[in-house]
Amino acid sequence: MSTMQKSINIVAAALGGQGGAVFTNWLILVAESNGWRAQTTSLAGVAQRTGATIYYIELIPRNEQIATEPVLSLFPSPGDIDIAICSEIAEAGRMLQRGFISRDKTALITSSNRVYSITEKIDLADGTIEPEVLLDLSKEYAKELVAFDMQSVADQHKSVISSVMLGALAGSGTLPFSKQSFLDAIGSSGKGIEASKAAFNAGFEQAQSGNVQIFEPETPPSASLAALEDSRFADPIARYPTSARETIVHGVNKLCGYQDVDYAQDYLDRLQLISELDDGTNNGELTELTARYLALWMSFEDVPRVAQLKLRESRLDSIREEVGADQTSIMYVTEFFKPRPEEMCAIMPAALGKRILASKLGYKVLTTFSGGKQLRTNTIGVFLALKFLAGMRKFRRGSLGFQHEHKMIDSWLDAIKTAAGRDVRLAIELAKCGRLVKGYGDTRHRTSEQTQKIVDHANCTKTNDPDEIAKLLAAALADDSNTAFGKAMPTSAATAA
Amino acid sequence: MAERSFKEEVLKLHAGDGDVFSGEGILAITKGLLQSGVAYVGGYQGSPISHLMDVLNDAQDILGDLGVHFEANGSEATAAAMLSASVNYPLRGAVTWKSTVGTNVASDALSNLASSGVTGGSLVIVGEDYGEGSSIMQERTYAFAMKAQMWLVDPRPNLPSIVDMIEKSFQLSEASNTPLFYMMRIRGCHVTGEFIAKDNVAPKFSSRNPVNPQREPEKIILPPNVYHQEQEKIADRWPAAVNFIKNNKLNEWFDGKHEQLGIITCGGIYNTIIRALERQGLADCYGNTDIPIYVLNVAYPLVPDEVIDFCKSKQHVLLLEEGQPAYIEPEINTMLRQLDIQTRIYGKNLLPRAGEYTGHVVLQGLTRFLSAADHPISLPLSIDAIGALGAPLTGNDFEQLLENVPPRPSGLCTGCPERPLFSALKQVQDELGPFHISSDIGCHSFATLAPFNLGNTIMGYGLSLASSSSVRSALPHKSISIMGDGGFWHNGLATGVASAVFNKHDGVLIIINNGYSAATGGQDIPSMMNANLIATTMDVEKLEREQSQSIENACRGTGVEWLKTISTYDIESMKRTLRDALTTQQAGLKVIIAEGECMLNKQRRVKPLMKKAINDGKRTVKARFYIDHQTCTGDHACIRISGCPSLTIKENPDPLREDPVSYVDNSCVGCGVCGSNAHAAVLCPSFSRVDVIHNPSAFDKLMWNVRQTVIGWLS
Repeated sequence: MSTMQKSINIVAAALGGQGGAVFTNWLILVAESNGWRAQTTSLAGVAQRTGATIYYIELIPRNEQIATEPVLSLFPSPGDIDIAICSEIAEAGRMLQRGFISRDKTALITSSNRVYSITEKIDLADGTIEPEVLLDLSKEYAKELVAFDMQSVADQHKSVISSVMLGALAGSGTLPFSKQSFLDAIGSSGKGIEASKAAFNAGFEQAQSGNVQIFEPETPPSASLAALEDSRFADPIARYPTSARETIVHGVNKLCGYQDVDYAQDYLDRLQLISELDDGTNNGELTELTARYLALWMSFEDVPRVAQLKLRESRLDSIREEVGADQTSIMYVTEFFKPRPEEMCAIMPAALGKRILASKLGYKVLTTFSGGKQLRTNTIGVFLALKFLAGMRKFRRGSLGFQHEHKMIDSWLDAIKTAAGRDVRLAIELAKCGRLVKGYGDTRHRTSEQTQKIVDHANCTKTNDPDEIAKLLAAALADDSNTAFGKAMPTSAATAA
Repeated sequence: MAERSFKEEVLKLHAGDGDVFSGEGILAITKGLLQSGVAYVGGYQGSPISHLMDVLNDAQDILGDLGVHFEANGSEATAAAMLSASVNYPLRGAVTWKSTVGTNVASDALSNLASSGVTGGSLVIVGEDYGEGSSIMQERTYAFAMKAQMWLVDPRPNLPSIVDMIEKSFQLSEASNTPLFYMMRIRGCHVTGEFIAKDNVAPKFSSRNPVNPQREPEKIILPPNVYHQEQEKIADRWPAAVNFIKNNKLNEWFDGKHEQLGIITCGGIYNTIIRALERQGLADCYGNTDIPIYVLNVAYPLVPDEVIDFCKSKQHVLLLEEGQPAYIEPEINTMLRQLDIQTRIYGKNLLPRAGEYTGHVVLQGLTRFLSAADHPISLPLSIDAIGALGAPLTGNDFEQLLENVPPRPSGLCTGCPERPLFSALKQVQDELGPFHISSDIGCHSFATLAPFNLGNTIMGYGLSLASSSSVRSALPHKSISIMGDGGFWHNGLATGVASAVFNKHDGVLIIINNGYSAATGGQDIPSMMNANLIATTMDVEKLEREQSQSIENACRGTGVEWLKTISTYDIESMKRTLRDALTTQQAGLKVIIAEGECMLNKQRRVKPLMKKAINDGKRTVKARFYIDHQTCTGDHACIRISGCPSLTIKENPDPLREDPVSYVDNSCVGCGVCGSNAHAAVLCPSFSRVDVIHNPSAFDKLMWNVRQTVIGWLS
């Protein structure tokens, strides 16, 4: 052995298409211009599309005294990584999992933003991971941590995340290279050089400030009653425990807009009956949950509701913002509707709707009007049609859909009431089942039916076990083919519905 | 053209004597071939050597100038058969493919080539797709080398060694009349570095200077020649190879002060063992080592004299041979036993029998070896300490970590034309299923993963229809096979379609025609597809390639009668066609050609055109999709039948709802699948297409103003 010289080892984790190769090439240029050698390698494989891609870089100063070439490793190894740089917080988690972050050695530089994985996205409810946990672990297990939302910095400068990553790396002070040499590397070739440099500088500043961006704790409920749109509800809502007020305010606001003041009053009346049975378990969870899901259920999305939402004034602005179109550009919005005869009947007077649904001919006639529609909302004809449909909400109370939904709502509320008499915890679980009811078409049908089955099960078996209900809810959310739910539901009750 | 362009990089191939050449391993190999006077090159793409094919493709001008013949072969078998040019003539040739899958396909030709023997140096550059980053089942090329008697070169993974060994390999092949495998591991293919270049050498014979046709009947593989050839392999070619390797010092020997110990390593693992030694304080980063190392740059055949010389004075020797089964270890043990040399060989008893030799694995193996050899050296890292490095998080922290690191399986790209096909198939499965589906190799293999979960078996490239041929008799529905256009031309036409028609196969074959060998990086293939209109109204121009060999005509030529070509983006017709195919009374194979241009390639083509159109002031419509977060209820059914990367989720803006809403991010290319799915699967009324009009016409402006004004009055 003749030298104690060691390489600086860097592992970079990016997702397909995030510019990991560009980042690596920049780093090679930086090293070369500083009289260092860089050896890089990567694993592309089939992961180039959506998978996680890992780049590995070793840097070593050139030494004219030594004739032989340095022998550098092609594998990142646990305990041998000086810098780990990640384009996304879950990827930082993966680096931790693979042992690439060592407490006494590794500086972890990571973006704190999320790019959701397919397993998180396909969940029937909320399958997202908790990035806060990963950030806490990163802080604890890395020697140094630089973490901030690099994606939003990139977006601000209309650049790509790899520029910000390079800035963060330069700003972290973990490499013995000047800031200028990084900027020169960016400037040497490629597209969007100015934007990349601006994003690099912003990343550099963030890393230099040394602040680890911590996730904002959940914002505390806004001064609840102040958000109330109709002040006549202030007094009744003030009588509820503070834990539920915020939710009730949102519920009342929503229902006033959905139907009218009377409908909101109806909501409060129904809620009152549940709230009276709430003994305060879990800080009044029963009242809060019921307030939440009752409001959502009572504002079920029928045709007038969808038309009403499509016409709201703020909509065009939010579309412009999302697609990045400025205020003056001309933009057409084409809606994809496919009403089925069921949805059409749902807005008819109950007796008529029922008869048509029951008659083969009536159903067939309606079918000719149903089917896929592509409608441009900013044409006058479509606007008028939507306005007409939105206006139908005046007659909603007499509609078949309204009767159908309210029958189910009543049965759900009755079950909660009955359960609360036995055990408030049981009632809480039943209230939670309100979360299930959502979607359109077949989804709506499936989720309502599952809720109804759970309610019937609770009524039939007179169960006292909150866990039993919780398990059924979890099974309903496990897949969209009723498979887990069918297995979890005792057969007698499953068929009873 | 392929996904990654090497047009800039290939200019480096002009480098001459003394120039410093820096770049990726794959470019270095190409330069090595040109410096060696190669006469012809070819191969079949597949990671990790896809880029080698792309480099060769992009370097056609340079190859042409030198008179080097290039072919993008139809399959690995085609490439292997191409090497027959070197049987009778002193033409140096090199072909490349992904191994072991490609070697499997090529084996028929390789066996015959190896039996005939070669006059010109013949190299098969195999990308050893083994270990992390691999996309195939885990096997090694070594067994192929042994069974056909082809040599296996496994160079140290640095550019000077890689280039030097290319030239030596040609010489070795010629000296022993034997074709050989030149093996590159995944990371070696992509490693960057530099070397001192030499001038390119034009091949002695080419179209400019043709060979004199000559027959050597004894080289034809018919009996009784084959018996002589087998004898010749052992009696002449093998000893010639061993002598060449020994005399030219192809294997390397590095001395070290602990002479009672030794390490024998395959060339490809050399850097990894040096790093392990360095971390244990037994080497430095320039490869100066305390423990002697014998590097097998030629992993097959072994050179008995060298092995014996290295081992005989040592008590303990560690052998690094990746993967299973071990071939070198028993052979070395036999050599030592036969000479009654008592040196102990450690290998698979201290290192894992299966799996990649990563830095961590080799460090553990080395540490166990030093402990087993009862060395007096004190090490900075104990075996327990190394274990702890690999798992820094324990207990509750580790569990929390695992819960919050989601897997990221490969999936189809944004706007991929295969997505609507699988959405349609999934919806038809809901009506008629469950289905047993024979899948194939290609991007469409990802349909076997979430969210589609369609597909039961993958038997090989272009083999899906063949793999339905018996299970079809035991299925409650007509068998379903899915094949890509790449697989169709590679293998599927003959082994699948022709054989199925011949055997009166009654099943359904879906051929996905996206115009490219897409999964390997978008290389051209014989067929093309019509440039289809999608929601982005821009795209009407034809693809650039002139000629096209039609899949439809090929199928009809084999006798297929039921054949329909459907655009994948038309989900309703696709569903109808699938239903028809699965329920028709008509006998015989039902072929559905599902057409849609690979979106990655399409975007690469269309984006610059679009940008130019906008800059030139032309009226241009740019479309993308949008989800109304007020009507979305957060069930994510749309994602479950699509899985598009641009279709994602965001926090629900409604304070009452807890589940995230679906959301289309800015990578959306406006392919229209979301809208079609919303219709076809009766999803929800939340999807809209947003058309932003750049450079609007006067009429656009007039209509816009009138509409805005009238709607303003009405609301």
